[in-house]
Amino acid sequence: MEVNEDKLKEWIERFREAKEVRRRYANWEFIRSQPPKVRVALEYYVETGDFRTAAKMADMAVDEFVNMAKDQANIPSTD
Amino acid sequence: MADAIADTSFIVDWVRYSKSELLFKVFNVVYMPESVLAEVESERSLIWISKGLERGVLAVLPELPDISREALNLVAKSRRLPVRPVDYPEAFCMVVGKRLNLVVLTENGGAVALRDYDPEYSGVEVWRGIDVLYALWRSGHINSFKDELKLYQQETKRTYSRRDLAKYGGAHGGQ
Repeated sequence: MEVNEDKLKEWIERFREAKEVRRRYANWEFIRSQPPKVRVALEYYVETGDFRTAAKMADMAVDEFVNMAKDQANIPSTD
Repeated sequence: MADAIADTSFIVDWVRYSKSELLFKVFNVVYMPESVLAEVESERSLIWISKGLERGVLAVLPELPDISREALNLVAKSRRLPVRPVDYPEAFCMVVGKRLNLVVLTENGGAVALRDYDPEYSGVEVWRGIDVLYALWRSGHINSFKDELKLYQQETKRTYSRRDLAKYGGAHGGQ
């Protein structure tokens, strides 16, 4: 696949910045207090932004996982 | 008015917005792939979807074999790159957007990135919530883009990057 390399580099940086935002605002006390399945799923979500796989890890519906991440774990949705 | 197709990431955020009905001031019909419908289970999302389906402003788009095949190829291609890949539901939306000329509504960075780096999809119109709010402001359905963006971000807990905000004039949207 031919790709625009400059745009690709820009998005790699954008995703790195988004990870920093999620790390900074996350309620780590809440995350660490969760049972292993949910804790690992939330940590994975903070690191990757991959809400779909994280929801599967936590054995939750996608929207229920994302809402829990926003409202209880204080992880903002970004990029 | 145009038609659109929405993925899960857009719907999960948009249903949290207290003025979510305004979406249908911008689009005639918003389609949802079956794969997206299968991912939502919260009462808030399901009520919003069922009301939209009843009124005919939302519609479920079935799995179509040739679109599914292209979407799966797109997922595989994106996984070879050192950037967040596109998942199947977003890939399906991007292929439909390209083939049927629908606006793709997504908050998934993987899909927004694809439009930027892959020339094959550069012609697809990809909108985030912030773009819908801007269209609503331009058409006079909201009074202040800046205030509405602030409300939207508070209610949805969506944080837009400085690059997204810069498109509309700065840190909190200029207008």
